Amino acid sequence: MIQDHFLTLVLFSVLVALFFATLYHRDRRSFLLSVAKTLAWMVAGSVALAFVMLWTGR
Amino acid sequence: MAEPFPRWKAYAVSLLTLAVPGLSHWFLGKKARAAAFFGIVIVTFLSGLALHGALFPLTSPNWLFRLGAVAQVGMGAIYAAALALGFGKLGLLEMADAMFGYGNTFLVTAGLMNMLLCMDAFDIAVGRKE
Repeated sequence: MIQDHFLTLVLFSVLVALFFATLYHRDRRSFLLSVAKTLAWMVAGSVALAFVMLWTGR
Repeated sequence: MAEPFPRWKAYAVSLLTLAVPGLSHWFLGKKARAAAFFGIVIVTFLSGLALHGALFPLTSPNWLFRLGAVAQVGMGAIYAAALALGFGKLGLLEMADAMFGYGNTFLVTAGLMNMLLCMDAFDIAVGRKE
C-alpha cells in the first residue's frame, strides 16, 4: 500500500516536472536541470511532509 | 519570429487547446511542444480516471467539489465527453477508495495544466513569447 502511494507520488511529480520544463525551457540542458530540480523538490518535500505527519500524528 | 496575431485571432487560437490539449501550439507551429503537451496532459487525465478520481459537476452542492469542477473544466471537450460517457462517477463507493484523493488531484491538475496551455498559446500568438 505504501508502495502504491509512493509510486503515485513519483508519477505525479514526473508529469508536473515534465510539463513545466516543456513550458518554460528551450535548450536540453536547462530542460533536464528543471526536471531534476522540480522532481527532487516534489518527491523529497512530500516524503518529508509524510514523515512529519507520521511523527506528529496519534 | 512570425508576425503577431491580432487579439481576436490570438483568443480564438488559444481556445483550440480546449478541444484537444496542445492543439493551439500545433497551430502556432510548435509541433514538438504540442505533442509533448498532449501526451503529458492526457496521461495526467487518464491516470486520474484510472485512480478512481471523480469528475465533479459544476452543480455539485459541495463548494469544494464545485471549486474542483472549475479546475477540471479546463480540460474542455475531454471533460465534457468523459462526463457524458459516465467516467469519473462521484459516489460513496468511489469516495471510500484509498486512491480517490490522488485521482482527484490528477484530474484537477490536468485541467489546470490545460488552462496554462491556453494562456501560453495566447502569449505566443500575440508575440509576448517565442
